[in-house]
Amino acid sequence: MKLFDWKLVFDQIPPILSALPVTIELTLIATLIGYVLGLLLALIKINKIPVLRQLAVLYISIIRGTPILVQLYVTYYGIPLILKYHNMRFGTNYNLNAIPAILFAIIALGLNQSAFDSEIIRAAIQSVDKGQIEAAKTLGMTGFQILRRVILPQAVIVALPSLGNSLISLIKGTSLAFTVAVVDLTAQGRILAGKNFRYFEVYCSLAIIYWVITVVLENAFKVLEKKFSIPDQPKSPAKEKVEGGVA
Amino acid sequence: MSYIEIRGLCKKFGDNVILDHVDLDIEKGEVVAIIGPSGTGKSTLLRCLNLLEKPEAGTIKVDDRTYDLKTKDRRVKQNLRRESSMVFQQFNLIKNKNSLENVEEGLRIVKKLGKEEARKKALGALEHVGMSDRLYHYPKHLSGGQQQRVAIARSLAMEPNLLLMDEPTSALDPELVGEVLVTIREAAKAGNTTLLVTHEMNFVRSVANKIIFLENGKVVASGAPKEIFGYPNNDRLKEFLAKINMLEGAEYNI
Ligand SMILES: Nc1ncnc2c1ncn2[C@@H]1O[C@H](COP(=O)(O)OP(=O)(O)O)[C@@H](O)[C@H]1O
Ligand SMILES: [Mg+2]
Repeated sequence: MKLFDWKLVFDQIPPILSALPVTIELTLIATLIGYVLGLLLALIKINKIPVLRQLAVLYISIIRGTPILVQLYVTYYGIPLILKYHNMRFGTNYNLNAIPAILFAIIALGLNQSAFDSEIIRAAIQSVDKGQIEAAKTLGMTGFQILRRVILPQAVIVALPSLGNSLISLIKGTSLAFTVAVVDLTAQGRILAGKNFRYFEVYCSLAIIYWVITVVLENAFKVLEKKFSIPDQPKSPAKEKVEGGVA
Repeated sequence: MSYIEIRGLCKKFGDNVILDHVDLDIEKGEVVAIIGPSGTGKSTLLRCLNLLEKPEAGTIKVDDRTYDLKTKDRRVKQNLRRESSMVFQQFNLIKNKNSLENVEEGLRIVKKLGKEEARKKALGALEHVGMSDRLYHYPKHLSGGQQQRVAIARSLAMEPNLLLMDEPTSALDPELVGEVLVTIREAAKAGNTTLLVTHEMNFVRSVANKIIFLENGKVVASGAPKEIFGYPNNDRLKEFLAKINMLEGAEYNI
């Protein structure tokens, strides 16, 4: 038996990748929850809405102050407990065993993301120059129109690099989902290793996979940043059309 | 009855009285200039009229429509804001939109004009301010003077009943002031009812129909440029004019 099987490291990448959709699903939905809830939390803090603001501050503080692993377990054991209580109290009939494991991981990771993203989004929104917002107000635009058409497009430019970092740490965070019985990339790797006892090789394979995903994401965010940023040169649409026509 | 009547406008910041029962009449097509020392409430007065500040009291009548300036009704606020349009000292163009989009924004989103119509109006407005060759420039590609001209086009395109201008040339390099003053003069000639705060006294003298001297939140003197600069009959006004070297022998430029 070889001390280190190079070939195996690459050979088991395809079988591990069979769990890639799970990791992607976890990441995408948790990111979405993170953005939506994060924006909501940011707006609550920026507009200093009474009571909600204090709750938001507490929520963000707790989530940022506890390990993601603990959050996963709290969700995993906590949600069934709540449903059980609901069943007893209101005579409902939720089937606790029917809850797919991935749901716990999505909720835990999504809530975790929302706390971190909300701070990124808040800082980005507050970096948008106030004068333009006043100008938009005097034009007669509503608060929602101003948010959607003036504030968010500019906040995105500021927030993207940090949101990219946050997404990368989320991808890596999904590797803890196996603790709540989700078969993601890491869990799939551990299953393989459990059969051939090649733990070191499996973790090398996993390292390569996560690294490649991260590099791809980093570059995707660079493309996005470029797309959202204000062009360095004035850009006339007529000129673009001509170029497009030639191509 | 005047076209625009502002009555009993009061504004405090904390315990500081900034505007103290200000009354103001503006006729249709008139250019009224507000002058006065720094920190005296000129900006605040303009900002109260489109509710960028919340006044404690006051009403404004535009044509035959009367608004309570301390209204809480969103619809009324929105309607009131659409009566006027503001040109800011810092231009305040929307940074992620080019000149054309900046002018189209209010037309499309607030006035709900169709694409074609908004485009036509925006192009016309930008042509008036001499910015037709910079339609696709973003604010960061424009000089201060050009940004301000786009901002003026943005305001005029909305066809406001009252054009508010708060020191529109104060943030500009001296060599860029002229082009913006020319633009404002054109807007005045075109019959836009205008309330203008500025320190360009020579400009005021030649363009304004009426001058208001505001001090410590009160209208201390008002009258035609000839009266204000020629025969100031108020000590505070005289003192102010002396300070800015406008009391005597000022040349007629611009
Ligand atoms: N948001 C604010 N909060 C508190 N005080 C303010 C605020 N805005 C303006 N002020 C005060 O109100 C007074 C009038 O300001 P302003 O209207 O800007 O004067 P002006 O435009 O005539 O120079 C100043 O003393 C200023 O410090
Ligand atoms: Mg001012």
